[in-house]
Amino acid sequence: MSKYTLLFRAAFGRAYIRVKGGNKEPSWVIWEVFLPLLMVSSVVYAYRMLGAPSEYIGFVVLGGAMVSFWFNVIWGMGATLYWEKETGNLEVFMVSPAPLEGLLLGMALGGMFNTLTRALSIVVMGVLLFGATFNITGLLPAFLVFMLTMVALYALGMSIASIFLMYSRSGWRAAELLQEPVMFLSGLYYPVSVLPALIQGVASIIPLTIGLDGIRLSLVMGYGIWELRHHIALLSAMIPVLMYLARRILHYMEVKAKREGRLTLRWM
Amino acid sequence: MHSVKTINLSRVFKRDDGSIVHALDGVTLSVNRGEIFGLLGPNGAGKTTLIRILSTLLLPTSGEAYVEGYDVVREASKVREIINVVSGGERAGYGIMTVRENLWYYTQLYGYSGREGWRKVDELVELLGMEEFANVRLNRLSTGMIQKYNLARGLVNDPKVLFLDEPTLGLDVEVARYIRGLIKRLIAERPDRTIFLTTHYMAEAEELCNRIAIIHRGKIIALGASDELKKLVSQEVVYRVEVKGLHSKLVDEILERKLAVTASWKSDIVSGVTVLRLVFRDEGDAGRAIEWLVKSGFTVTSAHRVEPTLEDVFLKLVGVRLHE
Repeated sequence: MSKYTLLFRAAFGRAYIRVKGGNKEPSWVIWEVFLPLLMVSSVVYAYRMLGAPSEYIGFVVLGGAMVSFWFNVIWGMGATLYWEKETGNLEVFMVSPAPLEGLLLGMALGGMFNTLTRALSIVVMGVLLFGATFNITGLLPAFLVFMLTMVALYALGMSIASIFLMYSRSGWRAAELLQEPVMFLSGLYYPVSVLPALIQGVASIIPLTIGLDGIRLSLVMGYGIWELRHHIALLSAMIPVLMYLARRILHYMEVKAKREGRLTLRWM
Repeated sequence: MHSVKTINLSRVFKRDDGSIVHALDGVTLSVNRGEIFGLLGPNGAGKTTLIRILSTLLLPTSGEAYVEGYDVVREASKVREIINVVSGGERAGYGIMTVRENLWYYTQLYGYSGREGWRKVDELVELLGMEEFANVRLNRLSTGMIQKYNLARGLVNDPKVLFLDEPTLGLDVEVARYIRGLIKRLIAERPDRTIFLTTHYMAEAEELCNRIAIIHRGKIIALGASDELKKLVSQEVVYRVEVKGLHSKLVDEILERKLAVTASWKSDIVSGVTVLRLVFRDEGDAGRAIEWLVKSGFTVTSAHRVEPTLEDVFLKLVGVRLHE
């Protein structure tokens, strides 16, 4: 059996657990759908009060939707690995021939089911409650940019997970350290163009910034694939680099954890 | 060919205070294919460390280890395909999912297709007699049920080498007996399978294992079949002595006075009797010890020579008793 078959089967198995397990507790709908709307609403009202152009409503709604995927990467992939370790599931996984990337992919895909629900709910509620308007013709380029962004974010999630793999609880600090700055730099609730040029430069190496900008341009401004070619090219270039780095980091941390006896060490 | 082989295997841990612990210290052993091999040792002796290295979860500090000929460091993925590990008291799994759903997830880690996975789950449910609770959530299971589920999980890939780390720990007599029966069956049905077992229970090791190694402070201090190990105390004589009353310090006094080579005790609170198990160099020493007990005012209700057990061997070699 090829390594990739094993990877995808392991990922499918873990995603099944996450989706089925999550739906055994339907209360998640409240947390995932209604609570995130509060943040989006507060930003929308702030823009309305300031008399911002109506496109800004769409910007904010899309930003609110996309932040869910960033949270899924940090907490759904990274921090979940911490819990896998604490409950002894990681130990069982590591004894199997399935690659660790499969477990992480499964957690990401499984988490994406809930995240997608959250993101779509925010968009639908944004349209219904705040009158956000989107350009339907931009759906295809938006989907393409979205998928590329997700793959790049998965690579980032792998790197974050490797911190949890090695340092367990201390990994929370690193995840928190990443959460807010990335939210700031990716322009979740405003266009990045309002930031100083230097900060824009830093922000442009974050896939979420490029992805979000591309999705906004296609769904709000109606840009087509050709007009988004730079976004697509940048994300496409980022993916192999981030993937390579993530796999190297993950492998390094796995070996280091085995050497230092931390791989299965609990209560850390 | 050996199923498991270690050569001068060592593992050192560094504590937070900078001190060094030699969890394994030059362990060399070979386990034959088709064997149930037992590893006996007190807490902290290095049993779990050895299993972790053999199951690729931990890297050795030095030395070599092979499972079915594969190097556990350089060929870890090959090793993982043919092994599995089950630990006593393990609670791995997803509490909100049922036994069947959890087992199906594990089939995916070994590359079964979705349908094949469910078929394998049905097979394991039948093998382990889990029909009654197969559709029950994991967080609702009793300790005995959990351990059956753990064993089913360990058999998902039909492993060539199965590591069982204290598999009957904390189980009631009936479930423990069932699991011992299953272990025997696993070897009987597939004679090329190897089972590497660690246990605290002497009787379990004696009942199940073809050969037993005793590990103490990271070193293998004895290795052989149960009868061979018992020969290590064949020069000595073993006595079972019953003394009226509960005397927890009596053994210490006997050893301080060098009246016996090793001594262990059990108190029966209900009958108010202390049962001593004393190993002497010869009959003369036994007579002197019993005489001392009587002279010291203890009421000796019975004293008779018994056959040596693994417990006596362990006590002689390690100096402490494995608590049963």
